[in-house]
Parts: sequence; structure tokens; C-alpha cells
Amino acid sequence: MSVAGGAGDGRSRGASHAVLSVIAALFASLLLLFLAAPILRLVTESGGEGIAKLATDGELRRSLMLTGLTATVATLLGVLGGTPLAWLLARREFPGRAMLSALLDLPLLIPHPVAGIALLLLLGRESAVGGAALELGLRIVGTPLGIVAAMLFVSAPLFVSGAREAFAKVDARYEGVARTLGDRPWRAFHRVTLPLAGRGLLASAVVMWARAVSEFGAIVILTYNPKVASVLSYDRFTSFGLDEALPVAAVLALLALIPLTALRALRQERRP
Amino acid sequence: MIALEQVTARKGRFALDGISFALARGEYGVVIGPAGSGKTTLLEVIAGLLAPVSGRVSLDGSDAKGRPPEARGIGLVYQHAFLFPHLTVRENVAYGAADEATMNEAAERLDVVPLYAREVAGLSGGERQLVALARALARRPKLLLLDEPFSALDPRRRTVVRREVRALHRAWGLTTLQVTHDFAEAGMLGDRAVLLDAGRVLQSGTPAEVFRRPASPYVAEFLGAENVFAGVARDLGEASPDWVEGEPSVYAHGHRAFAFEAEGLTLYAVGDFAAGAGHAVIRAEEITLSRDQSFDSARNRFAGRIVEISTLGALARVTVEVRGVSLVAALTTRSVHELRLEPGLAVVATFKAMAVHLC
Repeated sequence: MSVAGGAGDGRSRGASHAVLSVIAALFASLLLLFLAAPILRLVTESGGEGIAKLATDGELRRSLMLTGLTATVATLLGVLGGTPLAWLLARREFPGRAMLSALLDLPLLIPHPVAGIALLLLLGRESAVGGAALELGLRIVGTPLGIVAAMLFVSAPLFVSGAREAFAKVDARYEGVARTLGDRPWRAFHRVTLPLAGRGLLASAVVMWARAVSEFGAIVILTYNPKVASVLSYDRFTSFGLDEALPVAAVLALLALIPLTALRALRQERRP
Repeated sequence: MIALEQVTARKGRFALDGISFALARGEYGVVIGPAGSGKTTLLEVIAGLLAPVSGRVSLDGSDAKGRPPEARGIGLVYQHAFLFPHLTVRENVAYGAADEATMNEAAERLDVVPLYAREVAGLSGGERQLVALARALARRPKLLLLDEPFSALDPRRRTVVRREVRALHRAWGLTTLQVTHDFAEAGMLGDRAVLLDAGRVLQSGTPAEVFRRPASPYVAEFLGAENVFAGVARDLGEASPDWVEGEPSVYAHGHRAFAFEAEGLTLYAVGDFAAGAGHAVIRAEEITLSRDQSFDSARNRFAGRIVEISTLGALARVTVEVRGVSLVAALTTRSVHELRLEPGLAVVATFKAMAVHLC
């Protein structure tokens, strides 16, 4: 009797497992569809037109150039400052480390227009920093410098967090061994840590670049003109309607293939 | 060469607490201790990779504080080798090499030249350890710090490599400190043994001293001594040495005769001990078994019955019950066969008074 009951329990457990699996698969598929469908629709409907527009639309070309350039400058600055910061966070225990970590996550958590407003407050011509920059002949707000500042603010934390993880994956004992083999700290970093963390750092830089390219909220407050691609697509939409915005949006979506391919290549290389 | 005075250091959950010992130039020291006793942390403190919280580390007679690892003239080999995976084996060995000749000598002695063109990822654990050893030696350090460096080698290779490292240690006049949990290795290699447990030095001295004269019952058990008895030592004085072995001149060195009453047995001991409650330790290797009462020079002689024989290859451990007390004797398996020893057989267990260590 109990054996029969046990078999019955087993069957009903198996059935409920199957039902749960089907439900989980359904939700996963729906989410996947929701994420992919708009982009696929956009690219298939307007991708061709967008690419054709690249030949005729000078403003779009300039906007894309500006976006790529400012994102690259922002990424270089992020890597320059973020690498030592990430190393410090990965390797050293010091008072305020947790606070610093939290501070670095903050730009990722606040709404990006808020980030833009905060930056405006710091870098605007009325502010001390903005005023001093103006005296040196550097206008930040309303120039590519403002775009770089906005991109750096919202995307550098992504680099720092990725780079920190990349450094943490390199056992500190490699550096220790290099030191006992005669390397000073910088030389050990250059000969051992950097090559071992290199791919992780590069992947983090790619993620930062992609995030910078796609930024809108903070840039639109600091520098509406000249227009980066995201601002241009918004501008075309609000000024001329959906039809005019679609080709620009499709080109931007296709642009995302560049970092996507780079990341895939980096991840594939990493596999032994 | 190395002297540690009251060194305290912390690394994660490991801590060293008031470590003091010294190793003279050219000595081969062995740090013995279980996993988590702080052995690796100790090497890192000496290497300058971890700053002590307090205490003093001296190298070559001067305080090493402020001397970075690259200026300490050390070679460090971790158990897990930590070969640089982005470099070939040859590039690893050459990484900090003093010169081509030293590098070649180290590599040839450890037989890693055939591995030169290989990628690190394709090496076995044993090969990695050999390359790490060659890499550290190629720098021609004055002080070699080894953390279980032979653990991944097969037994045959281990013997050869141990011999080569010992030979290089002598030929190059190195000072070596090796961490191991292998007591046999410690006995074979070390001029000085440091026993570490839970971040503290339990005892240090020559391996023979530490093994034969453990400072406490804990040390004795830790070192694998099977026969440890609690009891009371009575000083027999120098006046009645009828049973004591050795020359009378022994007495001039402070050795005295003791009777140790332990669990109904009276063990005779001679040495520089203190009377009173304590423990007697007899290593299983010191106890011999015979089938009859043939007399020899040994003063401790107990008739009993075999209760268990466990053999492991050429060695056997025979447990003899003497008036309710178990004595474990280590014999060769051949002796067990020749004496036709078997459980239940009446035998006589004998050991010298000098084999009884009181602590």
C-alpha cells in the first residue's frame, strides 16, 4: 500500500516538475522575445534605409563621428583613472574601502538626467570649476567636453567594477612571486598583473565604451548641441516624427553590434 | 641568516602569534605543521610580502623592516607553483634569472629543460613544481623559501628532486626554510625543525631532538608518537645507576635516572628531565618484540600479548597489551613473519631507558 502510494507521489511530483519547467521556459521565452523583438523589428524595417542615409545625411554622419570620438575619449579617461582605482579596491584593505565602493556604484543608480543636473551644477559656467575652466579658455557645457564629462560620469563606474573583478581574479601571489624574482611593484604590475588581467580590462573598457555611446539623459542636459547620435534620434523624433527617427535609431542599434562582437571575441578567446 | 623575534602577523583568518626562531647561514630548516597552522603565512612574512603586526624579522643580522621582497635575496616557491600562465616554461625560468649559466644549471639539475617549449597550462602538477623550483633557484637566492615544494611529485621523482635541492643547497651555500607536513621529509632534510601549530611555535630544535624529545604530549602525538603515557616521574638519583645504560660520564651532563609510574607500569628513563607528574613518550620504532625472555641491555621489558597487527607494505605496527596498557611497536613485515607473530601470541616488548622521553 505504502509502496503504491510512494509511486503515486513520485508520479505527481514528476508531473508538477514538468509543469513548473514549462512555465519557467514560457516566461524565459517571453522575456527573450520582448528584448529581441523591438530591436529586430527596428533593424529589419529601417536598417537598410538607415545605412543608405549614411551616404546622404551629413548630420547623421557627423553625429556618429562625434559619438564615437567622445565615447573613445571618455573611455580612455575612464581607463586611465579607473585602472589604479580598481587595482586598489581589488588588492588593498583600507579604511573607507566599502564607502568608496558604494560611491562608485552611485552614478549607476541615479537617474541619468539627475546625473546631468549634478554635473551641470559642478561644471556650469556659474560654478567654480566651470568658471576656472572658462578662464583657461575651456567651455565644458554645450561642447564635446560636456559630452565627454557626461559619458565619463555615467559609464566609468562600469569599467571600475569590471576591472576590479578582473584584478581580483588574478591571485596576488603571482605578483608576490614576481617581487621575489626581483621586480619592483610597478614592474610586477606591468609584467604579470596587466597581462593576466588584460582581457578582463579590455572587456570592461568595451562595456564602458558601449555604455557611453548609448548615453542620453545626462548628455542632453549638458550638451544638446552638437548632437550625439542618441540626442539626434530623439531630436528627429520630437521634431519630425517617427518616420524620420527610425533610420537614425536603426543605425544606432546596428552600431551596438561593434561592442557586441568585440565582447564575444574577447570571451571566446578566454576559453582554453 | 634569518631570525624571528616575537613576530605576530595576520593574513585573513590565519595569524602568527609571537613566532621566534633562528636559522644560521647554510642551515636547512623545516617548518612542520598541519594545514592552517600558518606555515605559508610565515614564509610570506620572511619574504617581505606580508608585514608583521609586531616583532622583528632579521636577515643577515639586520632588521629586514622596510626591505622590499625584491631586495631580500630570496627565492619563494609556493605549493601551487604560481607559474606565470602567459609565459612559456623557459620564460618562467628566465624571469628573474641571475644569469644564463645559473639558469641552465638549475634547469638541468631539476630536469626542466625538456619542458622549455611547453605552455604552462599543459604541465602536470609535479612539472609545475619543478619549474617553480628552477625559477626560484635561477635567481641564485641567498635564502630559499619552499612551501611544500615536492607535494605533487610522484615518490620516485620526489626522492631525486629532494636530493638535488639538498645538493644545490650545499653547493651554493644557500639557507633554506622548507614548509612540510611530511615528518619523514623533515627528518631527512632538516638541520633544524620548527613545529608550528595554530600560528605558534610549539618547539624548535634539530629534527632528532624534536622527534625524540617532544616538548609536550601534544607535540608527541602531533608528531605521530603512538606511545604516550600520563604518569609520575620519580628521580632515582645518580646513586643507583645499576640499570642505567651508557658511560658514567653521561651523568656529568646532567642526565639522571628516573622511574616513571604510568597506568600500572614502571618505565625506566634516563635524561635531563624534571621529576613529578608528566608524560612518557616512546616512539614505536624504539620498541622491539621477542618471543622469549632473552636478556639484553634494554632495561624496560614487559611481557604481554599481541592484540593487533596492521601491515603497510614493508612495515608493520604491532599492538601489545601489557596489564591493560597498549604498547605499539613498529617492526618490519619480514620480522613479523620470521617471528611468526600473530594476535593472541605472548611476547616480550623491550626498549631502552634512553628511548623513554619524559615531558
